[in-house]
Parts: sequence; structure tokens; C-alpha cells
Amino acid sequence: MKKVLALLLALTLCLSVLTAVADTKVSFFTGKIETIDLLNGIIDEFNAANPGIVVEQEYQNDASSVIKVKFASGEVPDVMTTYEQEFVDQGKYLDLSDMSDWWSRLVPSMKDSCTDLKTGKQFRVCTNMTMAGFFYNKEIYAKLGLTPATTWDEFVANLTTIKQQMPDVTPWFIFGKEAWHLGHLIEFIPHGYLKQTLGALECKKAMLNNDSAKLNFGAADGAMAVFAQNLLDLQKNGLINEDVLTATSDNCVEAFVTGKAAMFSNGMWALSGLLEANPDMADKIGFAPYPAYMPNSKPVVLCAEDSGYSISATSSNVDAAKAFLNYLFNADNQKKYSEALGSPSAFTDVDANWAPAAFAAEVKNVLNTAVNIGFTNEKPAGFSGDDAGRLVQDLLAGTYDAQGFAKAYEKAWNEGF
Amino acid sequence: MQSKGWVANGARHKRHRREYTQYMSLPALLLFCAFFVYPLIRGVGMSLTDWDGMGEATFIGLNNFARFFQDARAMGDIKTTLIFAAGSAILLNLVGLMYALLMEKPFHGRSATRVIIYLPAIISPLIMGYIWYFLLQPGRGFLYHAMEQLGTSFQLGNWMSDYPTTMTVLILVNVWQYAGMTMIIYLAGLQNISSDLREAAMIDGASTWQRFTRVTLPLLMPAIRINIVTNIIGSLSVFDVIMSLTEGGPGYATESLSIYIMRMCYGSRTGYSTAVAMILFMIILIPVLISMRLTRAKD
Repeated sequence: MKKVLALLLALTLCLSVLTAVADTKVSFFTGKIETIDLLNGIIDEFNAANPGIVVEQEYQNDASSVIKVKFASGEVPDVMTTYEQEFVDQGKYLDLSDMSDWWSRLVPSMKDSCTDLKTGKQFRVCTNMTMAGFFYNKEIYAKLGLTPATTWDEFVANLTTIKQQMPDVTPWFIFGKEAWHLGHLIEFIPHGYLKQTLGALECKKAMLNNDSAKLNFGAADGAMAVFAQNLLDLQKNGLINEDVLTATSDNCVEAFVTGKAAMFSNGMWALSGLLEANPDMADKIGFAPYPAYMPNSKPVVLCAEDSGYSISATSSNVDAAKAFLNYLFNADNQKKYSEALGSPSAFTDVDANWAPAAFAAEVKNVLNTAVNIGFTNEKPAGFSGDDAGRLVQDLLAGTYDAQGFAKAYEKAWNEGF
Repeated sequence: MQSKGWVANGARHKRHRREYTQYMSLPALLLFCAFFVYPLIRGVGMSLTDWDGMGEATFIGLNNFARFFQDARAMGDIKTTLIFAAGSAILLNLVGLMYALLMEKPFHGRSATRVIIYLPAIISPLIMGYIWYFLLQPGRGFLYHAMEQLGTSFQLGNWMSDYPTTMTVLILVNVWQYAGMTMIIYLAGLQNISSDLREAAMIDGASTWQRFTRVTLPLLMPAIRINIVTNIIGSLSVFDVIMSLTEGGPGYATESLSIYIMRMCYGSRTGYSTAVAMILFMIILIPVLISMRLTRAKD
């Protein structure tokens, strides 16, 4: 009896080892906390429908840093959501240009955003679009008879009215403890101005080649100095929160959903947090572009690629990885994905309710009326968005005046190359 | 003749036993080499390259070290690290010694008080930093609101608006957390001092201060040495408290060298960050050696 039992156990062990060896394991690495549960469900369905392939999801909070360690140690995941220009330059990603089934379904501008400027090839597929602008409290605006500003003067007038009529409300809440948020202000306002005046492609080239004549970051009357002066003026006049250097995004959400802040700048990723904190806000959240702040410029809104998927160039499971992405990109899964992420799908055949209807309509209107800009992927490797945000912290802490800030920004940018 | 043989046998046996026991340290030595010596040698090699963490590394000699000393941000970080370490080491020893002297005397609830003082030391410094941030956050922290109720919130003010106040807050939080650990070492040192010596000094007419400075303090020197060395090492490599309270900001004003190393490493400057780690190693080593030499001389 004992012998039979031992044989059975040994057989089971051998079978499970053989099964494990036979399975193709696809490691999937992500930094997107919003989609973990949804993707676990999709992965389970995929694994069940595809015997012999096992997809395993790994989430890391600081994914962009962790992926560097993975690249350095040679433990590169097969599929990943992290994407950096320097990895593209080093040939870390598989060329996906020939995946016409995916590209034919994608919004053309999103395909452009996924295209590497240097090689003209696509190394990632973005499933969603994200937008960034000002989230404002429609109730406060209606009460004070305000409309979203299109010029900087109108913007300041709105903030001043809010401060005068509702002294307990912070007109513009900036959560400056988090450097990335301040870095985004640079990305959307002065960089946004450059992108609209130079044109998206020319601006990318100018940044990639560090064309200082076109970028002109250090000029006393340039986009960077004027942005800095505007911010200092707002701070001086009490139109932004006093605790700008110590406030966190949680503080911002709390202030906004309780009516203690009239507006803040952020991307669509903030929406689910707002609705979670106060579901009654669904009809009260408005969306506005960044107002034009330089002569002869227009309001700007970020409309960029979001949630990009890449396959490692060194993956030994390319076919399995592509099969998984095929499954993930089908319209049904993308509808669920878009609704979980709270941002519209980049696939033309996906119709998702990604936000409350009124808000989604307002976003659509802003996209149609303001200049659409993308993220800057051509930043120097040694000067991150966080670094830019830290310079803004210094500005708000009084280390620089506007011109000093512009010069410091130009210096940091140049040294980053 | 026979007895001589026994002596010789005994000596040989002792020598053999000594040799045998020496081999017992081999596993520890191997582990030390694998996890300290080898990484250190690799680190030295890496610090002489421009490795970005992924691609090919090119030998660039001492360029990384030269660049470090030309970087204004790095120099600011050295200043912050040294101020933090000096402030923390001094205060930790003073407060820890004070606690130890108080806790040495018998009173009701002494054991419970010792535990309460020591408790913060076992909590992760990162969590501790966030807790203190929630307490101290200007305009929003619980402590700020408590002081507001008392009409004294202006004393807390916006502590992150100027460098000295921010550094003071960082040092005080660090001292609050680790004073208990310092106290335990001093308590052990105090308990090793024979009460006869103190009584003899008292009989000789020495005042409390004289007994403390002439008897207690010199005999506490081993404990002082341990505390100074561990506090210097801990404070010079500070990361968590600063990261959770200020993230090294505003700007890079309160960034420590450890945070700088981490940011450089994840900023694709792995070779350079390793060079800075070597410099930090030397920065830690020098004061530790000096303090060990000074306290050993007094010991």
C-alpha cells in the first residue's frame, strides 16, 4: 500500500513538473494600480482559454525604477507597461510596426504618439487616451457667474472673484509636495506653449536635438520666465493655497470634493479618486483647458497616449505575448479596461462609459476647441519631470525670481543631455 | 619524562583545538566576502565607469569623483547630511543619556516608561516619518490643529518654508525615534558601574555633578563610543525620515546623500551613483574612526 502511495505521489510530482515545464510562462509587468484587479480577471480568462500559456501579472508601485533593475539583472518581463525613450534607444523593445490588426483599430493620432521619432517604428501600443487640464467645481462657477477662462487675464479674474466672494475657498489648489505635479504644470503650460507654436513634430525634434534657439528656455520674456512670474503673482496675491509646498494630492482631493477648493490641474487619472471620495460630485465636476498665457497663443489641453503595452526584444515567448495582447485588446476587454481606468479608449471600435456623461461631453468639447498637445518623451535622460517640479518648488519657496528660474531651468535641461 | 610528554601532548592538543576552532569562522568569513568584500570591489570598479545600469560600461577613470565635487546639488546634500548627522548624534546622545539617568532610578511604572521610550525605535522610520508628517503638516496636521485650539499654531507655522526650521524638525523626529535605543545602551553601561565607586565618591564629599563627571562619565566611555559610532553611521546614511517628511524638498534643499545616490542610480547614472556611494562610505568612515580613537584614548 505504502509503495503504491509513494508511486502515485512520485507520478503526480513528475506530472506537475512536466506540466510546469510544458507551460509557456508570460511575465507581465505593470505599474498601473487602477487595472490590477481587472487584468487579473482578464488574465484568468486568457489562461483558461489558452492551455499551455500562463500569463503572470507583477505590479510594482515604482515601476519605472524597478524596470531598470530588471533590465540590469537580465530578468526582463515579456510584456510591460513601462516605456522610456532611453530603452527604445537601447533596443529593449520588440518592433510592433507590423501588427496591422492593432494599428488599423487605433485612433490615428494615438498611433502617431506611439511612433518613435528616431526610427519611425512603433514599439508600444497605447490602449487609451488621457487628457489633462483644470478640474473645476461647476457649482461654485455657476454661483459666481463664472465661465472657464481661455486667456490668462480671464483666469486670474476668475481666481480673484472666487477669493473675494468665497474667502474660505482656495481658488487654485496646487499640491506641490509632490514634485511630479509641479513638473506637469511645466509640461502642460510652458512646454504646451512651445508645442503649439513650433508644432508637435518640430517641438519634438527641437527637444531631441536640444535646439536652444527654438526652445529658448532661459529668455527673460520667454515661455518659462512668464510662466514663473505668473505663478509667483498668484502666490503673492493668495490665489493659490498657502501650503502649496506641503500639500499632497490627497489633500487636494479632500479640498475639492468638500468644496474648499474651486479648481486644480490634473489628468483623467484623478477622476476615479474624486468620485470615490464623493460620488455626489459626479455632476459638479467641470473640465477646462490651460488658458493662453503668452501673446498670440491659444488654450491648451493634454491629449496623450495612455496605458502603453510593449514586448521585450529579448523575450523568448513573443508569440504567447502577442496572443495575450490580442486577447487583451479585443473590444469587450477594452470597454471594461476603459471604464476601470476612467479614460477613453484609443481603439475606434470601443464604446465605453468611461466618465459621467456630462463630464465626458465637456472633455470632448475642450478637445475640440483647445490645442491638443502630447507628453514630452524627448526630455533629456538626466532631467526628469520630477526634477523640473523640484525647480518649481524652489521658485515657490523663494529661491528664484522668474528670470532666475528660467535660467536655472535652461541650465538643468542642458546638463541633462 | 612521562609528565613532560603529557605537557607536550596537552600543548599539541590545545594548538590543534585552536586551529580547528579557527576553521569554524570560515562560513562567516565566506559570507562576509560574498556580501561585503566582493560587492565593495565590484562597486569600486563600477564607480570608475559611466555605466547607466543597462548598457555597456566604459572606463572613465576618476571623472565621476571629480564631477561630484563640481556639482552644487551634491555639495548641498553633503551639507544637509553633515548637519543632520551632527545634530542627531549630539542630541541623541544627550537625550539618550538623560533618559538613562532618569530610568536608572527606581520609580513606579519604570519598566512601562522604558518600553514607551524605546517603542518608536522598532517602528519603520518611513512609517514614523509619515506619521509625523500627518501630525506636523502646516495648516492640516493634527498637532497644528491642536496648537491652533490653544492659539499657538503660529509657532509651528510653515516649518518647510525655511531651511533651519526644516532641518530642526527632521533632526527632532529622528531623535524622538532613536533616543530610546541610545538610552538602552547607556542604561546597560550605567548598570555596569559599581555602586561602590559612586558611594566612595559620595563619602569623599563629591557633589552630584562631580560624581557624574568624574566617576559615571569616564566609566560610561564604552557605551558612549558605541552610541556615537552607531548614531554617526545611522545619521550619515539617513534616507527614510527625510524621504517621508520632505522628500528632500523643497527643491533639493533637504536632500541627503543617500537620497541623491538613489535618484542618480534610478536616473540612469549608475556608475556615478556608485562613486557617490564610495564617497559616502569615506564620509562615514572618517568621523567613526576619529570618534573611536578619541573615546578609546579616554577609555
